[in-house]
Amino acid sequence: MTNRLSCLMALSTLAVSSQAFAVQYMTAEEAQHSMFAEATVFRDVSPHLNGDQMNEVQKLAGLPARSVSWRVMAAYKGEQLLGYMVQDDVIGKYELISYAVGLNPDASVRQVEILNYRESHGAEIKNAAWRKQFVNKTAQSGLRPGEDIATISGATLSCTHVTDGVRRIAAIVAVVFRKGT
Amino acid sequence: MNAILRNALIATGIIANLAIVAPVSATTLDDLEKKLTQQEEEMKTLRTELAQLKAAMGQQSEQIQQQKVALDSTVNAVQESKETEPTTTLSSYGEIGYSRPLNNTKDTQVDVARAVIAISHRFDAQTKMVSEFEWEHAVTSATDSGESEVEQLYIEHELENGLRVRGGLFLMPVGLLNTSHEPTSYYGVQRNFVETAIIPTTWREVGFGLSGTTANSLTWDAGLTTGFDVSKWDPTAQEGRDSPLRSVHQEGQLARASNLSMFGALNWQDVPGLLLGASVFTGKAGQNTPDSLLNDSTVTMFDLYGRYQTGKWDATALFAKGTISHTADYNATIAGQPTPMPSSFAGAYAQLAYRLWKTPQYALTSFARIERFNTAKTYSSAALDSYLRPDVQVATVGLNLRVGEGVVLKADYQNFKHDSAQDRLNLGLGYSF
Repeated sequence: MTNRLSCLMALSTLAVSSQAFAVQYMTAEEAQHSMFAEATVFRDVSPHLNGDQMNEVQKLAGLPARSVSWRVMAAYKGEQLLGYMVQDDVIGKYELISYAVGLNPDASVRQVEILNYRESHGAEIKNAAWRKQFVNKTAQSGLRPGEDIATISGATLSCTHVTDGVRRIAAIVAVVFRKGT
Repeated sequence: MNAILRNALIATGIIANLAIVAPVSATTLDDLEKKLTQQEEEMKTLRTELAQLKAAMGQQSEQIQQQKVALDSTVNAVQESKETEPTTTLSSYGEIGYSRPLNNTKDTQVDVARAVIAISHRFDAQTKMVSEFEWEHAVTSATDSGESEVEQLYIEHELENGLRVRGGLFLMPVGLLNTSHEPTSYYGVQRNFVETAIIPTTWREVGFGLSGTTANSLTWDAGLTTGFDVSKWDPTAQEGRDSPLRSVHQEGQLARASNLSMFGALNWQDVPGLLLGASVFTGKAGQNTPDSLLNDSTVTMFDLYGRYQTGKWDATALFAKGTISHTADYNATIAGQPTPMPSSFAGAYAQLAYRLWKTPQYALTSFARIERFNTAKTYSSAALDSYLRPDVQVATVGLNLRVGEGVVLKADYQNFKHDSAQDRLNLGLGYSF
């Protein structure tokens, strides 16, 4: 029993010393600055999609636009547009996952950040290795869960739903903001 | 002379004309001056009105800004409330199977293997309750084969530093199937043998656990829980031969807790699609039973596993081994009984799956699995060597057809290398939401 307690104490020490994440991993503002460190101003450009735009989004993403209103911030360096950040929530397996997607002006993905993750399994979803898979992907290519974006064992639904969400957001930015579309 | 006269006449004409025009020009300049003065006044008035308008617009803009801020804060509040307000979730999974032994068709059977209702409740952003209630084999009564059980019942609390503390009846973080055991999560109609006979899935204990994930995607688990009770071993029954740990598990049912056990697990997923993991569970299991020869026995289980999912491929391998110490004296007292207590049991499997076809609504995946296991790999005494049996080797090939996100239809064929009487065809239907 003494040995067991010693082991547990050692594990507790490991727990305290290992790098851990806060309950809220990142706020939306922190995500903005992480995605667009060189930005001097952020402007709220949240759109309200019309019927045609929602149809276009569905066509591009292969899944419904889901909502008319979206939370979008445009990042500028002076008058130069750097890109957009879209904030969204999806259900993982049972719990709400809050995340933000940074996109370049051409609607390709620049960065994905997980703001909140509360499922009992699959916390690896918020780590850089998994999120890096999204970089430079667009709604048309590279954002299919399980094919282009590898899922995390034990958190398949969370990964699938976030990947679908990112693809939807990339399509919204392409339809609403990308020049020439 | 004529020229002089002509010039004089011209000059006189010009002067006369000037004399006529001069009074008219004077009148116009006065008018213009008046008009200019009037326009200046009007300009002043306009400037004043413009300034007033600008001020009004500024006020309106400020009001709009204030309204926007208020709206944003409302949206944020709604957003926050979504995350922090109490929420209750109902979920469920179930599976029904058909099994036809091809060389013994009279034993063909259909079974509502599991029906599970799960309720979880989030008290706040950091604290939740998770529960699962299960019925096995459709009917539970004193004269039926079914079981009714609480499979999970625990509280999980996330600390400010992101560590998760868990207390109650929860699943051991062992192997690949134990914590992810819904029919939509695995290939084949029935769960694989290694994670049934060697690892007693669904294996749960009562106690406390702590877990966290590092920035390098290393998830660790550790905890102190109830363990096994080897005094329950029945040497006259087949159950210990089928699955040694399943025959001595306690599952939170008036669990004897004189001896506790501890567990630890590491899972690394820093390469997308790749999982490498290992776990260990150990603890004394005699439970200080009076007059028992097993009070010094320790049950230990450890496993190693890996999974790689890339594109259409899904490859998995797992090895698990369990030991029970200090069994010799006990086994000597039960000589001649059909099921002595093994000192070790072990198994391993490798599985490869390939997705053949996929649409947004359907996905058809084929798989092949080879597994080898032995529920009595060794005994502590050479006197029991006659009880040793060869490893069981089973090859399974089959198909999983996923319908939507939560329904799966399954078909597989299983070949038993040393016992063709068990070769069988299985069909299954499962769901999870």
